Formats: sequence, structure tokens, C-alpha cells
Amino acid sequence: MTLHQKERQIIVKNQYVDSFDFDEIEEFIRSASKDLFISHKFKNSDTTLVQPRGGFPTYQKQFELYEEFEKADIDVMPLTIDSHTRLNDYGSAKKMLDLSEANEVDMLNGYPLVNHGYRTTRKMTTHFNRPVSLRHGTPDARLLIETALASGIFEIEGGPITYLLPYSKNFPLDKAFLYWKYVERVCADYSRLNEPINRESFGPLTATLVPPCVTIVIQLLEMLLSLEEGVKSFSVSFAQSGSVTQDAVMANVIRKMADFYAKKIGIEDATINLVYHQWMGAFPRNKEFSDSLINSSSFIARLVRADKIIIKTRDESFGIPTMQCNAQSVANTKYTFRVLKGLPLIIDEEEEENLTKEVHSIMEAVFNDSADTLWRKVFNSIKNGIIDVPFSPHVINHNNVITIRDEHSNIRIIERGNMPISDDCLTYEKSKVKLSEDKTAVINKIIEDIGVMHE
Amino acid sequence: MYKVVTGVVGNDIHVVANRLIDISLQARGFEVFNLGVNTYLEEFIDAVVETDADVLLISSLNGEAEGWCRELQFLMAEYELKDVTFVIGGNLSVGESKDEDLVKKYQSYGFDLVFHQIELNDGLDQLEEFLGKKS
Amino acid sequence: MSKLLVDIGSTYIKISSSNGVFQKFRDFNRAILDDLTSKFADEIQRYEKDEIHICSSANGGLSTLIIGLTNSFSLKYATNIAFNSGINIIDTILYHNIENSPVAGELLDVVIIVGGIDSIGGVFDEKLFSYLSKLNYSNIVYVGSKKDREYLSENIENLVILENIITEKLKVNEEPLKEYLTNLYQQDIVGKEDIKELYTLSSNQIYSTPYIVNQSLPYIDANFEVINPFIVIDIGGATTDIHYSRDLSRDNMVIDSEYDRLVFKKLGVYKSKDSLVYAAKNNEFVYELLNVLNVTENILEEESEQATKILMQLSIFLVLCKVSIHTSLYITLNMHLLKSIVLTGGITKVLSYDEVEVIVQFFYKKILNTTAIPTILLDSNYDIWTLGMKALGEKDVD
Repeated sequence: MTLHQKERQIIVKNQYVDSFDFDEIEEFIRSASKDLFISHKFKNSDTTLVQPRGGFPTYQKQFELYEEFEKADIDVMPLTIDSHTRLNDYGSAKKMLDLSEANEVDMLNGYPLVNHGYRTTRKMTTHFNRPVSLRHGTPDARLLIETALASGIFEIEGGPITYLLPYSKNFPLDKAFLYWKYVERVCADYSRLNEPINRESFGPLTATLVPPCVTIVIQLLEMLLSLEEGVKSFSVSFAQSGSVTQDAVMANVIRKMADFYAKKIGIEDATINLVYHQWMGAFPRNKEFSDSLINSSSFIARLVRADKIIIKTRDESFGIPTMQCNAQSVANTKYTFRVLKGLPLIIDEEEEENLTKEVHSIMEAVFNDSADTLWRKVFNSIKNGIIDVPFSPHVINHNNVITIRDEHSNIRIIERGNMPISDDCLTYEKSKVKLSEDKTAVINKIIEDIGVMHE
Repeated sequence: MYKVVTGVVGNDIHVVANRLIDISLQARGFEVFNLGVNTYLEEFIDAVVETDADVLLISSLNGEAEGWCRELQFLMAEYELKDVTFVIGGNLSVGESKDEDLVKKYQSYGFDLVFHQIELNDGLDQLEEFLGKKS
Repeated sequence: MSKLLVDIGSTYIKISSSNGVFQKFRDFNRAILDDLTSKFADEIQRYEKDEIHICSSANGGLSTLIIGLTNSFSLKYATNIAFNSGINIIDTILYHNIENSPVAGELLDVVIIVGGIDSIGGVFDEKLFSYLSKLNYSNIVYVGSKKDREYLSENIENLVILENIITEKLKVNEEPLKEYLTNLYQQDIVGKEDIKELYTLSSNQIYSTPYIVNQSLPYIDANFEVINPFIVIDIGGATTDIHYSRDLSRDNMVIDSEYDRLVFKKLGVYKSKDSLVYAAKNNEFVYELLNVLNVTENILEEESEQATKILMQLSIFLVLCKVSIHTSLYITLNMHLLKSIVLTGGITKVLSYDEVEVIVQFFYKKILNTTAIPTILLDSNYDIWTLGMKALGEKDVD
């Protein structure tokens, strides 16, 4: 047994978990139905796959949710994990699960996959026979991913940067890189048995005025860190920005850059997909307006030819949606896609050129870091503020980048902090905005820009 | 230039509000030391000491500030921080408390200015006014 | 090229050669060179000077006093840097309490003064100098506000001035102080007459043992069945060292290492035996633990091989308590997340796996209410030390 295998044995040994039978799991994945693999579906689909979010504490309720989704002919099932599990607190997750089962009240905000175990969960995934996507926000996801893959969940969302910087204040980022390397390796190993396991980065980040160059750089770096380990199917993603043109520009640039950088590290046989998240900021409280917002997002997803869309529901402002509401949103989106034909391709050469320059200059600075591994180059770059995510709570994030919307709602950089984008690029960005002399007025505009989708 | 130490007390993850307060203070000419979310009272006081700050501005956005701020008087005495202006703002109550009661309560903990559910700009205007009068 | 690795500890001398790993108690009546060459003459003769590598933690390492302005910044940052530089004994004083602070009797190796960001001044005054005048120390370094440098230099002889360890944004700036302290430790080792003599045996730099262990940490999980997050416990004669993965604690510091180090000066099994016994007697679980180990409390007063074993077992339990939620004096580590415990140092030649496991099981049952325990690895071949020396060797080559 190699050290990696020994490590896996120890990771899955946990008092809340029944023993793992790795041989059996391998056999299961090898002979699993192709319909369980999103990578297979991506290859055989020419439309945008529809995926909501959703996770309930008990098996019964999760099953019911999937039944509703099935009625709506969902393309990809979600499995959203609860917050205790994300912090590896399986003890609290178990307590809350027991209470949820006893009292028929939801005491968790997601499905405690580790407590349920892979044998139970696999019954559900194989019953519905549709791809399932794991949604969480876990810095140390080793046991969680082992359980997910053994359960027949063949898409794993997240990464060391995207699942840390938006949510955590002080989980050591260098440890997160190490733990996610484990995840990549396991996904790569299993990818040899059947269709590839798909990994998906979490592009929205803080979903608060994040400049496109930062989103794209982080997507590319998580992609490279994954491809390095042998993952063969990867989805880059981003959230609706608030400007249709900016979304189109981002989509065009991220596709080109993903190809470019994958080739740069010598990977030519991986499939890169694009995922689009519907508006991740504050939603209107008016439900009809929410429907309009959602529908306009769906339009943009098709416009940019996204391979998958992650949808919201009209209940977004009010908490966790009911199963029916969620399933309705799936059905609505699928309907919209069905009737939306003849969409043009939007190209804006000037914008794309500027964005491409910005991305290249940041990527170059990352590669030029003196560390000898890519993950440490990225770690150092974040530590030095070369990569800086606005509104991140993490102590390592510099928080010196300031952005604001221009008259077309494009997100523009007005303060670059330590980001190595050229003076020309910064001038271009600033030239699009008419900044008030009054600094307080600028702040007020930023506050408005954050809440741009309010009624 | 006044120095302000700011952050969000206790188990709040309201990082957007924290950052907006940060840049608003900077826009108004304050030098800001932002401790971020999930900050403990002792860290706030220690930051005031290390930076010789003029103002401590604590945000609490989910109404649980009370459990955290009672020790303020004690820590103020330990470090002899009589010249510092203590401000607390955000959503300070859990449940239905009257604004005047809340203000009195937090003032008894040692806060000079207490803002319960006030608009950010209004709060900062009042802070600037208070500092102007103080000097 | 085969190597001979030598570790001069405070209690044992250990060597690692192609024949294996051996350790012998030190004879404190002899100079180290003399002691080493007489005990391991055959081995030493087989190697050339450039094939012999020596490290030392003799004399229990440097002792430090840190005088700082606050707990959350000055003291926290300076303490973290000092421990990670290999310092073993750290006492701290909060400046506003200085007038009521006890004065250390023994000679301190280094006094560190810290406080205030660079843009403020007037942090320190007469009270500092008055206190310092009562102290006995070999080195003194200032890593606080730039504005007070002149004032302090004028009033403190031989004051070394370095960059502030607190940045303008209240973050930690570790490199300058870390480098200084690491070099100080180096000089101390080399400065000791009997260590200096060892350069007649070896043409390689002599390092401090904590430095070596620190070099090995990033490689441990790749070489042994050790899973992150882990802790490495080194129970020595004078102190107990613990290295831990930084995701077991949350201290809001951004530093370049994934691991931190803590030292418990009162938990050594020889030189600090009395304080170890005292700590044991004050722990409410110890009597029950002694029961489990099938001995009575009289064992604490005994002088025997078995008593030494029991003491070693107790020190493991006490150090786990000290870093857990049970006694949050230092750092609180989330022991529920801990995946592996590695024991290294002299203790691994004395205790068996079972003797360690029973302690870990007891700790997890009593303090954390769980029967699941992390994996345990006894580094009885000093592989970690070998790994550290190797890592260092590779660095030197670059």
C-alpha cells in the first residue's frame, strides 16, 4: 500500500462513519451508470444544464426533494451540505440530524453526508440515476469527498481559494491547499475507472463587486491545481455580474484563458466547461420581480453559451425555498431555454483585450513567484496582495482593491491595491467611471452598486 | 487625522458591512485599523492600545453584542483609556427592546455613542460631530 | 555518502549511523566531546569530518523574557516568533503591570521589548529602565515602535534594534526577529566551550535541535503514516516541545509556516521533574490515571525505572491537557480534528506503543468524551530528526 492509500485509510476511519470498503467502492464506480456522470452529460448535451441548490437534513426529505426535481426533468441534482459538516463537526451534525428525524423539523441547513454515510446515500443517487453535484464550503473536505464519491456523487464543487476566502476568517490557507490536493488526487484516481469525475471551482467568491480579472485568475489557478493532479474534467464558473456585456466578455475571455493555461502546463486532454451562477447578491423581496431577475439570468446563461447554470428561486430573499418552489424554478428555467432560440454571440474586442491583459499580468506575477510549487506560488500571491478578493473576511486577504459600477453596470477597478495590472489597464478601467469629488458620495454609490438588484 | 479601530464583535460574518464602514471612515479622513469579523473585546482594546487610537467603533449586526461587551468597563480601567471615544452600532437587540432602553444599557457599559439600526452615513455624521465637540 | 548524525540532548546523546540508532545517558561530569567520543568511539572513527552532522539542545536552550504592550498583539506575536526560533523558556510581562512584576533571579539569555505600531511613540518610560536594571541578561532587543528607538537606545546599553514585529496594519512581521533569535541560539550553541570543541569532529554547521525538527515538519506526512493535522510531542529531560499543525488552532496570524511550536518548561522528566510532579498533583484526572496504570500516587516520589516511565506517561497526558480545551492557558487546539500524534525524543526508547496508547485513550475519553483516538506514531528511530537533517542538507546544497 502506498502512503497515499494509507492516508486514505486513516482519513475514512472516523467514529461517525461505517468502515469504508475501498475495493467495493472502486467496483461500484467502475460499473456505475454513465448517467451518473456529469462529465458524460456535458459531452452529450448541446444546451445549458440546469441545476438548483438544495439539501435537507433527513434522507426522506432529500429523497422527496429529488422526486420533485425529477418531475421537473432536472439535469443535475444538487446535494448541499450543512454548515456543521463543513467545519468537520460531525458530532454536532449527528445531534442535529437525530433531532431533525425525531421532531420533523429541519435543524440543519443541508444534508449531513458523512453522518448518513455512503451506503445510504448511494441508494438515493442510483435510484434517480441523474448526475449529482456536491455543494459545500469546506476547507478540509477529505472525508466528505471520499464519502461523496463512494455515494455516486461524481461532481465535486469547491477549491482551496474559492471555498476559503469568501467564508473563513482564519483557516490556514496553506493547509487548505494541501487538503484540496488530496481531493484532486482522489478524483483523478477514480477518473481512470469510468467517465471522469468533474471538479468545479466556485466562481462567485464573495459575489460583491468582484472584478472580472480576479474571478478569472482564481478560476484558472484552481483549474491548474486540479489538472496538475490528473483531473480530466473541470468547470470554471462565475456569477452574474450585473452587466450583460461584462458577462459575455468574461465568458469569452475565461474560455480562451482556460485553454491557454491548460496548454501552458502541458495538459491537452482535459475538458473544460463553463458554469454560470444566477445573481448571487441581494434579491428583491418582491417575488414577481425575483422571477424577472431569474429569467433575465437564464437569458444571459444561454447568451454566453454556458454549459451549466446554477439557479435561484423566487424565495431567495426569504430563506430556504420549499421543494415545490425550487422545482418550479427548475421547470421555469428549462422552459425558458426551450423557447429561447437564435441568440447572437456578443463580442466586445476592446473589453476582451483589456481583460485579457489584466489576467495575463496577474498570472505572470503568480508564476514568477520564487516558490517551487504552484500552490505555494498562489499562497504567496494571495499573501502579498497580488490576488485580492474584495469583501473577503480572511486575515490573509489584503482588501485594498476597490471597485464601482459604471453607467452600464460594469464592475470597474478604481483602486488596484497590490494587483499587478498595468497603468494602462487601470486608466482604461477608471476612464469608464465618472467619480464624484466627494468621497462619501463614492461610498454611497458603492453601496447602491452592491444592492443593484433591489427593487 | 483621527485613528479608529473597528470590527465586528462576536460570531458575526457580516463582512460587507464591516468593509463598507472601513472605506466610509477612510473616505472621511480617518486612519482605520480594521480587525474584521469575529473579533473579541480584548482584541479591540489591545488594538486601541497598540495604535493609540482615538475611536473604537464596534459593529454588532445580529443583536448579540450584549454578551460580549460587559467587560468593556473593566478593560478600559486596566489600560486607562479615558480619552478614547467608544462607539457601538448595528442591530443591538435580540427581540423587542425600546431604543432608549438600549442606548442607556450600552452607555452603562461604557459606550459614548450608541447607534441602534441607524443608517451608516447618519451614524458617521454624528460621530464626526461628537469628535468635533470633544476637541 | 553515508552520514553519522549526532544529537546532544540535555539528558541523552543520540547517534544515527548506518548501523542504527543508539542513545546513552550523558555523564555530566565530563565535557561533551570527551563524553561523546568515549561512548561512541567506534562509530565516530568510521566517518570523515564532512560526514558527521551534529545538532544540540543541550542546556535546555535559550531563556527569554518578553515585555510587551498587549496580549493580542505584542506578546502574541513575539511569543510565536520566539517559540518558532527555538527558544525554550518564555516569560512574559504586560507593560502596564511592570511595576508589580516579579524579577527573574537567574540569568536571562535575551530580553525582548515590543509594543506600539511605528507611527506612535511614547510607549515606554522610566518604569522600563528601572525594571531592567534589576534584571540579569545577556542580550536585549527592541522590536517595537520606531519612534521610541532613540529614547530606548539612550537608556539601554547594548540594545539591538530591529524592525517592528507589528506592522502598520497590526499584522505580524516575523522575519527580522526570527532571524535574530535563530542566530542567537546558533551563537549560544557554538559559544558554549564544550560545543565548540565538537567542531574538531565535524566540519558541518552545528544546529539547534528544535531547528532541525522544524525543518522536518513539512515532510513528515509524506514519509510516514502521519496524517494532517498532526502534533509532534518531544518530551525531553528539561522541557516538553510540541509542534502542531496550524489548522488545529485559530490565531489570526498569517505566517509562512504550516506548523507552530510551543514549549512547556515545567514538563521535563529530569531537570524539571519537580515541576512535572507538581503539575501532575494539581490535575484532577491524574489519580484516576495512575489507577488505570496500576500504580499509587507514591510512585511520584520514587526513583526507579518504573517511576520514570510513569512520569513520562503523565507528561504526555499533561501536555495534551495543556493544549486542549481543558486548560486553555496557552493555545487551545481542536483535538477533535487531530488525526495523528507523533512522539519523538528520548521517551520513544523507554515507552512502548501500548504504554502511550493507554494515555491517549484516557485523554480522549475523559476530556473529549470519545473513544475514537488519533493514530499514534513512536519515532523510536529518530526518523524525524534524520528527516530534518536531510531537509537541511538539501537546502544547503541549493
